[in-house]
Amino acid sequence: MDGQIFTWQTQNDTFDDLKQGLILAKNSGAKSLMILTCTQNSYPEQDLNTLLQSYSLPIFGGIYPMITHKEKLIKQGALIIGFKERYEVSIFSDLHLLKSEDALEDLINSQLEKNKNFHGQDNFLMFYDGLMTNIEDFIDSIFECLDHSITIAGGGAGHLDFIQRPCIFTNQGLHTNVVLLVTLPRKLTTSIAHGWKILQGPYLVSEAQGQTVQSLNYQPAFEIYSQAIENASEYKFQTENFFDIAKHFPLGIDDMSNNLIVRDPILTENNHLQCVGKIPINSMVYLLEGDINNLINAAEEAAVNVFSNSNNPTEQIAMVFDCISRVLYMEDEFDRELQVINKHCSSSALFGVLSIGEIANSKSGSIRLLNKSTVIGAW
Amino acid sequence: MNKALFIISLQHELAMAIGNKLDLKAMLKVFLKVCFNRLNLTSAHIYVHCDYSGIPSKLVPLEITNYQHLLSIPKRKQGVPWSQDEVLCNFTEKLNNEQVSLSFKCENGQHLFGFIIPNHGLLIFESHYEIEPEVQKALLPILQKLSTSCYTSLIHDSLVKEVHSRQLIEEKVAFQAEHDGLTGLFNRQHLNKLLTDAIEDAHTNKNFGSVIFIDLNQFKPINDAMGHGVGDQILVTLANRLNSLSNEHLDVARFGGDEFIVLLKGLNHNYQETIIQVIEEINQLLTIPFVVKANSYKLNCSIGYALFPLQSSTANNLIKFADIAMYEAKREKSRQGKQYKPVMSDKIKKRLAYVDDMKQGLENGDFKLFYQPQYNSDGNIIGAEALLRWHHPLYGMESPAVYIPIAEESDLILDIGQWVLEQACRDINKLEKLKLPKTFKKVAINVSAKQLIQHDFQDKVMRAIKQNNIPAEILALELTENLLVENIEDSIKLIASLKANDIDCSIDDFGTGYSSLTYLKRIPASVLKIDRSFVANIEKSKESAAIASMIISLGETLNMDILAEGVETLDELNCLKDLGCYQYQGYYFNKPVPFNELVKLLN
Repeated sequence: MDGQIFTWQTQNDTFDDLKQGLILAKNSGAKSLMILTCTQNSYPEQDLNTLLQSYSLPIFGGIYPMITHKEKLIKQGALIIGFKERYEVSIFSDLHLLKSEDALEDLINSQLEKNKNFHGQDNFLMFYDGLMTNIEDFIDSIFECLDHSITIAGGGAGHLDFIQRPCIFTNQGLHTNVVLLVTLPRKLTTSIAHGWKILQGPYLVSEAQGQTVQSLNYQPAFEIYSQAIENASEYKFQTENFFDIAKHFPLGIDDMSNNLIVRDPILTENNHLQCVGKIPINSMVYLLEGDINNLINAAEEAAVNVFSNSNNPTEQIAMVFDCISRVLYMEDEFDRELQVINKHCSSSALFGVLSIGEIANSKSGSIRLLNKSTVIGAW
Repeated sequence: MNKALFIISLQHELAMAIGNKLDLKAMLKVFLKVCFNRLNLTSAHIYVHCDYSGIPSKLVPLEITNYQHLLSIPKRKQGVPWSQDEVLCNFTEKLNNEQVSLSFKCENGQHLFGFIIPNHGLLIFESHYEIEPEVQKALLPILQKLSTSCYTSLIHDSLVKEVHSRQLIEEKVAFQAEHDGLTGLFNRQHLNKLLTDAIEDAHTNKNFGSVIFIDLNQFKPINDAMGHGVGDQILVTLANRLNSLSNEHLDVARFGGDEFIVLLKGLNHNYQETIIQVIEEINQLLTIPFVVKANSYKLNCSIGYALFPLQSSTANNLIKFADIAMYEAKREKSRQGKQYKPVMSDKIKKRLAYVDDMKQGLENGDFKLFYQPQYNSDGNIIGAEALLRWHHPLYGMESPAVYIPIAEESDLILDIGQWVLEQACRDINKLEKLKLPKTFKKVAINVSAKQLIQHDFQDKVMRAIKQNNIPAEILALELTENLLVENIEDSIKLIASLKANDIDCSIDDFGTGYSSLTYLKRIPASVLKIDRSFVANIEKSKESAAIASMIISLGETLNMDILAEGVETLDELNCLKDLGCYQYQGYYFNKPVPFNELVKLLN
């Protein structure tokens, strides 16, 4: 492989194991390290902080609900990738404190200035705290402020209980409310897919506030949503947990090119639906349904797209940001998704995370937050 | 059906994005962002119509359109400003010329769509796909709404500007009402208010305060000699230095001219220490020279202070008291700062009464001129110095050492000086009618600083000579060395001019004023008078003899006569003779005598 020199993985959840892995990684002569760990591990936060701070070489990555290595889904343990080259890591901190667009732009501009506007750097991986509420404002602002277009792939880290904890790694320790932009030394090719199909709709988003849909077609959003699902399926919201049903039925925002941007409802409160990602007021949304084969086919299509474009398929490094809700939906069948992706990847350097929200470019070039989707990046 | 709903939802979404902000740019940015996201654009741009000064304005029919780029998402294209993007610029120009919606397919496969924001600007979208005609059409009513919102924003902007400029003016007026125009410190009116508030606070909260009155010493000569520009610069510099002391317990104000007031307030029982410390800091601020136009000026000040509520609880009294204390410090040449004491007011009252007495005395003819004859080494009278004597109706004969300084503090010295001049001329006139010894040449009068700086002093002298019909050369003026040093350039001019009119000047009290020899050389005086302090016991004091000897040789070099004052003994006379001084005045010869007795002596 061209850029990767070291891979180490464990399914052991102990901190000592990770420590051993890092010693090996350091001794491998790697110039930068990607560390991906699972939320189920029992790493003491303070010790992890101290460990990370003891390294001077660039470190990036995070704590994700699950991680993947080739075909393998890792529910506990860790993965360390060592790279031959030095990957530059830029950190945007305390984003939760920036309440206005101007404040966000000021921070981004000052950070861009420090990084000489990422001049000559067009390819990035993005690791961020998936439970931050203003990630879309951040990606909008960075797109607006950057003076050149970039190719990006990323995914939100964090815990599935939706309680925010430090979850992003750098050599300064563990962070919360941050975004890491990691500069890649080679061109990044990305492909995105979701495979969800329209079940019903469209509905007019008659009231919405950020990530919360208050009403659809001028009626309480949850009422419309639950009725549509109960009419079309066997599910009953009264008897089952909301998320257990909702993971099968995301919403899709229709865009100009008839693409659906998937939005995952994760909570209901006061008859409202709270999603991972903003839903604009007055937009048109569809109720989507999944079919495991469709989802896997879509992921395979994305894999074909991204890997067939490579000039040097055996040498490239590939990373998958796959939405955790796909695992929750497909359950054991999810392994098939990993298999089809791996099948089309000629390189052995294939790893990934199961994320809370995915980041990729849209066809127009802008940067989008996706839900329930698969983003594959290869460089 | 879905298509129709999609378009309606798009229209709603865009319409809802209009007018969310009042500021034009912010409002348009919200709208443009929604367009960008909703229409899946690659870039989006807004140009707005601007007036000739480049400020966004509504387009007036028939006016030449002048569009300026307002904003773009993203801000630049591959690091290059959009204004340098040729394809976009050409498209914008065409859109502006044609004033109808346009579309264009670029060579790279991208599409440009241009729309008119009626009366306000241009909206341009870049997309990777072709925006369907019905969607484009659906945008038209939105652009109408956007236009209305632009107009509202412009009205709002102009109102905001108007309110802001009104606010600025109000702030300026309020500032001017409270601050001194030159230094920016609080002015006298506002100081009164601050002081009144501080006194009230002192009563309510049982604390203490002080009014510190500061007056610059020797500022006037600088202002007069170097001009007001320099003087003002010094005042501004000092004001800034004083203002650096400001804090919640200390305000600084300019009281007027070169007078400043520091108001200390809200002090605890250690107020005395604080006051002393502040005075020390003020003096410290003055140790740094004032540099103006490459010249360096060293100044000091006199400081007086009064306490509240201990010494008074009215603003006017406190300022007056501090002023009186400052005045006392100035008189004593004290740099420490003087605290006001009631006895100072009594002194001032007495002084004022004394000035009144002098005025009255002048009117009643209680002032007389006495003359002390001056002799040569042969014992002949060569002239006389006119000396003022005042017989107070109550206190009897008053000492000139007491009343001359008091008269000098008020303008009364001018009246007295004028009276001396005129009386001396009248007396000379009488002398002229007598047969005087040939050796008798001069009658000298003393001139004060205030007289000397009068612009018409020479005219007054000449007028008195003329009115009394006396030869000018018999009148001589005595100027103290200190007086000359303070106004050296003007003095040189005046003495030269008087000399040209046959009036000689002598330098009194020579040896006490540290005058620079460079200046002395330029002063066209005729006589140097050795100060009495060097004459007293000169035969016993080597130092006095050395100084007298130095003055004598200086006089020889500069071609000036030397006259020794205060000769009281034969030993002193002999010693002076030995040193080469041949003109004398003093009790050894005669004390000052009334005019009639002088006449007798001359006869």
